[in-house]
Amino acid sequence: MMDILFLLLGSFAILGAIGMVGFHQPVHSALSLILTILALAGLFALLSASFLFMVQIIIYAGAILTLFIFIIMFLNVKEANLPKEPTKNITLFLGSLALLPFNFLILRAFYQMPLHVNSVESDFGKIKPLGMELFTQWLLPFELISILLLVALIGAVVLGRKDEA
Amino acid sequence: MGIKVVKRHGNTLKEKLYLPAIFGGMKTTLSHFITNLSDKPHISTILYPEEQPHDISERYRGVHRLTKRDDESVRCVACFMCATACPAECIFIEAEERTDGVDEKMPKRFDIDLLECVFCGACVEACPCDAIRMDSGIFSFIGKKREDFVLTKEQLLANKEKKQ
Amino acid sequence: MSTLSVFVVILNVILALLFSLGLAPILVWVERRVAGLIQDRLGPNRCHIKGIRLGGLVQSLADMLKLVFKEDFQAKAIQENFCFSLAPVIVFVSAFLSFMVIPFADDLIINGERFIMQGLPTDLGILWFLALAGLSVYGIMLGGWASRSKYSLLGAMRAGAQVISYEAAMGLSVVSLLITYGSIHLGDIVAYQGELLFGFIPAWGIIVQPIAAIIFIVTAFAEANRTPFDLAEGESEIVGGYHTEYSAMRFGLFFVGEYVAMSASSALIVTLFLGGYHLPYLNTQTLQTTMPYVLGFIILTLPLGSFYAMRWIKKHNRWYLKSDVRNTESAVLQKGLIGLNILVIAGLGALLYLGLTPTSTNVATAVIQVLTFAAKLFLMNFVFVWVRWTLPRFRYDQLQTLGWKVLMPLAIANIVISAIIIVVKGL
Repeated sequence: MMDILFLLLGSFAILGAIGMVGFHQPVHSALSLILTILALAGLFALLSASFLFMVQIIIYAGAILTLFIFIIMFLNVKEANLPKEPTKNITLFLGSLALLPFNFLILRAFYQMPLHVNSVESDFGKIKPLGMELFTQWLLPFELISILLLVALIGAVVLGRKDEA
Repeated sequence: MGIKVVKRHGNTLKEKLYLPAIFGGMKTTLSHFITNLSDKPHISTILYPEEQPHDISERYRGVHRLTKRDDESVRCVACFMCATACPAECIFIEAEERTDGVDEKMPKRFDIDLLECVFCGACVEACPCDAIRMDSGIFSFIGKKREDFVLTKEQLLANKEKKQ
Repeated sequence: MSTLSVFVVILNVILALLFSLGLAPILVWVERRVAGLIQDRLGPNRCHIKGIRLGGLVQSLADMLKLVFKEDFQAKAIQENFCFSLAPVIVFVSAFLSFMVIPFADDLIINGERFIMQGLPTDLGILWFLALAGLSVYGIMLGGWASRSKYSLLGAMRAGAQVISYEAAMGLSVVSLLITYGSIHLGDIVAYQGELLFGFIPAWGIIVQPIAAIIFIVTAFAEANRTPFDLAEGESEIVGGYHTEYSAMRFGLFFVGEYVAMSASSALIVTLFLGGYHLPYLNTQTLQTTMPYVLGFIILTLPLGSFYAMRWIKKHNRWYLKSDVRNTESAVLQKGLIGLNILVIAGLGALLYLGLTPTSTNVATAVIQVLTFAAKLFLMNFVFVWVRWTLPRFRYDQLQTLGWKVLMPLAIANIVISAIIIVVKGL
């Protein structure tokens, strides 16, 4: 059952990623990206990381990609104005060929890792232990990331502001 | 020129909070709701086809009728005043000679196309003989074909004055 | 899995279906009748099956039949067939699924087995609702985009911007709640609300966290695209908004989805702020210890309530023509009410007479709590309808100002204050 689910979700994720690169219409690309993200969320759920599963859907699918689609729809580029990509398929094929050795490297590294077979604790991946871990052991990185996000936010506001002439 | 300074509303804290005003409005609507559920509702809706409207006044402009003389003959003298006054041009009159000595002219044909009529009452105002009136009180006229809506002289004569 | 647990799971799914799908036609009826009564009109009241009108509820059935059998018209310009058909399904499914984590009653214990009384036995709780609220906007945006109509696209853009901005304030108001309750599991949150504050006030969320309650209720109105935030279908400016190009059952899915989303929002408001399935002053434990008195109270008050209801029906349920078949309805309703009374009183009397076992007490508790939840849900839905027929629509810039400049800072301030109070009091 788990294996079938894993295979299904994995293939959906890959299909979505391929569609994201392959589609001509930006909206279709964004929609396939949603498919990938939802499939990834499902994979997190299979790993019993329920908090990550929810956060993946809320943040990525619910907020970030909504913004993507919002902007794409806002610009509403006409079919004729989309860039022509006659060599796209060949480029994609060559690009994937060039990445093939890299894949072998990753697979090799993966097989050298020790396998975790012992079962996880009952509250693994739940919100409470995750929060405890974040706010005790990883407090400094957590706060630093928050400050980074804040800086990015303020930067966006400053850059996006109209000059007061 | 004197300038009148109008006081702007919406600047006090209470008004800026919105919530008091929202609750006030909700109170009003709820009071309507409860009143209408109680024994003395303020609903003036009538159950129309079963219950006929009872507020059709004397001056209501319904479907036209042609009035009659004392001897039950048509009062109209086919002077074309109404057809000339009609803004919708929905009155079609054909005149003929009147032979019974009461008058000289009478309509042979007097048709009103109700689909074109705008019920303005100009024909009634224009008539010098008080021969056309709109006091039949008929507010809903039903037909299945276009032809049904063209009222002939006989139909117009048959319409009765609405009794108050 | 024993037959019992299968039965309880099926029962829960059926309850979720009833509260979401089954409530939709009733809510359409409530909306139309309440709108009528608020505006001094009658609302739909003619439709009947052999004289049974149920106050016009039959009209909803007729409307549903009409939607199913209408021609499913689609403009030629619409080329994105898949997206166009997918959009209403997304709206409907995500609204329906968000109902699945609402607890209808306290955990039911039968023969030592513990069952969670919600559609999906998961403790993701409020995160699940937030996630699905985020996903439902895709349906609206996709539908608006695939329609290839300017009105639809404008409606979809408005809905998208609105949901994104109000989701932020909603999430933040929920955070302050989570600080207070200390759990994201809705069952725990409701259990917390069963306690008493200072010994005499029920510790409902609306009393413990009034600011969070106001923010959450306002944002819930916005998330459900209800008036005063229904700019997405502002008919005076953009025709029907995102569902301008839809017809027949595809429109029907949008339509029903809107009501299911409204019902889900109300269910969450009830669960988070109005004590969930708890009767005031009667949490699960006290309800179980005082069960005989509660049952006796029901036996005494049910006939009295039915009597007054019947008197009201006889006075108001009349048709203009005496001979009309609709005038026979009151008699049928009377028989139904009497039958119901006899059944309930006989059942409860037998239960009391035979003596309460732990299992029957637990089951009775669950039934009473489900009924309490249903009543609260219905009242909250009524508030949604009531507000819709009271308030005018916001202007778009006012909407964004309210979301970002008022609700958002308020929610953040509320988080800080509640966190300080929790830390200082050492709760």
